[in-house]
Amino acid sequence: MLFNSLEFALFFPVVCALYFLVPRKLKTPLLLVASCGFYMAFIPAYILILFTTILVDYFAGIWIENSAGPRKKRLLWISIAATCLILFVFKYFYFFTDTFAMISSEAGLPVWEPAIRIILPIGLSFHTFQSLSYVIEVYRGEQKAERDFITYATYVMFFPQLVAGPIERPQNLLQQFHQVHRFDHDRVVSGLRRMAWGFFKKLVVADRLALYVNDVYGMPHQHNGLQLTIATVFFAYQIYCDFSGYSDIAIGTARVLGFKLMENFDRPYQSSSISEFWRRWHISLSTWFRDYVYFPLGGSKVAKPKWVRNILITFGVSGLWHGAAWTYVAWGLLNGIYLVFGGLTKGIRDRCLGQLGLEHTTFLRRFLMWLTTFILINITWILFRAANFSEAWYIFTHLFSNWDISAIETQNFRLLYFVPAIMAIGLLEVLQAGETRRRIVRAIVAMPTYLRWPAYASIVCFVILFGVYQSAQFIYFQF
Amino acid sequence: MEALEEKLVKEEIVTRGPVDFWRQGVIRLLLFFLFLGLVTFGVDQTLSYGLRRITTSRFGAINAWMSGNVNTQVIINGSSRALVHYDPRIISRETGLSAYNLGANGVQIDVQAGILDAYLARNQAPKIIIQNLEAFSFEATKSGEIYDPGIYMPHLDSPELYRALLAIDHDVWKWRHIPLYGYAVADMRFTWARGIAGLFGIQGRQDYFDGFNPRFKDWSQDFENFRKGASSGVEYKVESKGREALVRCLELARTKGALMILVYSPEYVEMQHLEKNRGEIFLHFRELAEKYGAEFWDYSDSPLCSNRDFFYNSQHLNARGAELFSEDVARRLRRFLESRKVATAPNVSQGSTGSE
Repeated sequence: MLFNSLEFALFFPVVCALYFLVPRKLKTPLLLVASCGFYMAFIPAYILILFTTILVDYFAGIWIENSAGPRKKRLLWISIAATCLILFVFKYFYFFTDTFAMISSEAGLPVWEPAIRIILPIGLSFHTFQSLSYVIEVYRGEQKAERDFITYATYVMFFPQLVAGPIERPQNLLQQFHQVHRFDHDRVVSGLRRMAWGFFKKLVVADRLALYVNDVYGMPHQHNGLQLTIATVFFAYQIYCDFSGYSDIAIGTARVLGFKLMENFDRPYQSSSISEFWRRWHISLSTWFRDYVYFPLGGSKVAKPKWVRNILITFGVSGLWHGAAWTYVAWGLLNGIYLVFGGLTKGIRDRCLGQLGLEHTTFLRRFLMWLTTFILINITWILFRAANFSEAWYIFTHLFSNWDISAIETQNFRLLYFVPAIMAIGLLEVLQAGETRRRIVRAIVAMPTYLRWPAYASIVCFVILFGVYQSAQFIYFQF
Repeated sequence: MEALEEKLVKEEIVTRGPVDFWRQGVIRLLLFFLFLGLVTFGVDQTLSYGLRRITTSRFGAINAWMSGNVNTQVIINGSSRALVHYDPRIISRETGLSAYNLGANGVQIDVQAGILDAYLARNQAPKIIIQNLEAFSFEATKSGEIYDPGIYMPHLDSPELYRALLAIDHDVWKWRHIPLYGYAVADMRFTWARGIAGLFGIQGRQDYFDGFNPRFKDWSQDFENFRKGASSGVEYKVESKGREALVRCLELARTKGALMILVYSPEYVEMQHLEKNRGEIFLHFRELAEKYGAEFWDYSDSPLCSNRDFFYNSQHLNARGAELFSEDVARRLRRFLESRKVATAPNVSQGSTGSE
């Protein structure tokens, strides 16, 4: 079920009403049933895959807690392997077999390629990672194994963050299922406001920009340099608003029910370095990789060559997590290379810029660093969005050629559509600048009811009327 | 960030005082959603009202006949080919009969039948209905592909139009019954902005003349582009739904006592050669015309068809071509009426959608 669907508009109030009405012992089972319904609205049979993961990690958690020494470690690895096997089969099997077949064929040894394609279960990578974090934390002794199956299953399947995160840690989310969540008008309203902000990002910004991006990236050879450049910048905003919009809706939905999910984005395009960008972008995944891949590899407390290796492995795997294609791996590695380059040249850059009179605090330096970061990130998005390397290369090499301003429309994006698209980006930036959005919310909250309600209603009507409902699916669902 | 949100929630409680009873909170929330529902319903109705006030362009044309102000003796029904081919002013001048063009962009035969039905329910029955045809006349609209849905939003209270659209796309009930759904979800053209403009009496440019929308365009590359992708020709389906819709048009004419003339208006000759099952489709046209006592006029051999100067693409005549064709069809209609001795009333042209 999509958040931006009529079905969800009916489903959510019903679930909320039941959740606050049923006795305490039925609240978690109700959430589990609701989450199953939410997930089964996509492809019902795939819930079996999810339940397999849940079963494996539920028992693994208990066994790991009851074990010690090498057996404990063995159980952890068995659990990780079993969970990852499901991910491998459904997400990476054809990627690896295709790659193997291609290499064999290049070597003159053509091999059989499987003919059947399996559809990737929605959100598989997200709940796999959430399950993995649970068993790892139990292994580390940071989390007690959950004995109640219903509670554990609900932790993995909690519908607000089931298909696209935030990827929660058991220390934060699991214990919340043991708390009592009563109806709190102010908390509910706060959650609804957060949902409205997410819908604005998704419907008004992301899906409007998607119309242009899909046209241009669908057929890059038929578009000029200006169109390619606009589409690349639009995609940067599209993916941010699509994914962070989903996170906002998820956080808001959970808050209405009384749950507190972790923040996933913190205005990433305001970053003035790549490392800062990754502290602000998809925080739940970045910290997951930091805690479970980068740190165990040694992190930065090792010799420089090993640190470089650690960064590249972490970002390479992160790329592969995003999609079963080499373009995603290259996208991850490019981000890793940026970080390595940034880390290795920091001293030299600081000295050079200092000699030019551009100290850390100067506006010009901050602006240049922000601009450089934004451009570098946009370059990585080309790899992320392009269908393959050849199209990515074509786009990259044609960005600044043939800027024909009279031909910036596309098949589905008329000249008129630039007005709401650019207004939406402008409004997003204005609302995100400093504390503007919160100041506005504070002002609305302080209003008397006869002004506050019309203000909320106006915002809802604005989002409804300026929203686009054609590319309904969220980008990150595919991961 | 989260801390700030929490602070905000606390500030909100301080500002407005704590909510003592959860029931009170629930009631307040329910009242707000009721208020929101009323607001969205009000906005929806206001936008529809604004659109109904438009007297120019395609909105003006549909508003004219939906409000029952057309009542002409000849009506022309069809898709964009009807819309841009038949100038009712020329037909009126030649025949002395008032005329109006109901043609609309992107409408397949099933929507055309709905339009004709809605027209006849609101206006006096015409003496003659010209139903324009095309090679794809038997292809029905696919679900979810109703073209330019915004045009219908203010008129979904018409049972004839609503029924026709609902039969094509089951989601049409949402357009009608869920406030703003039609304007926001189904329509991508900011039709609601036109509604706001209409509310304040702001009219767009008048480019519809008694429903006729002349196109002052020269031959484009559209046909060459199309031919590249269909060099081996195209085959149009004869769908039962499409055939039923044309039969519905014929039956409506018969019920209302109007004479139906099926007209295959000019189509660029090279395109005609690409249509592989053209013969089969024309057999259906002839068979239906005979069965329902309608006339069938085929302009495939018109000299206009072989001259690109009169078209802007293979299907559509430009304004110059439309003028010549309208004169031709009007003269033929006059001769036909004389031969049939159909009584023609003196000039009773009514309900023009705007100044010419």
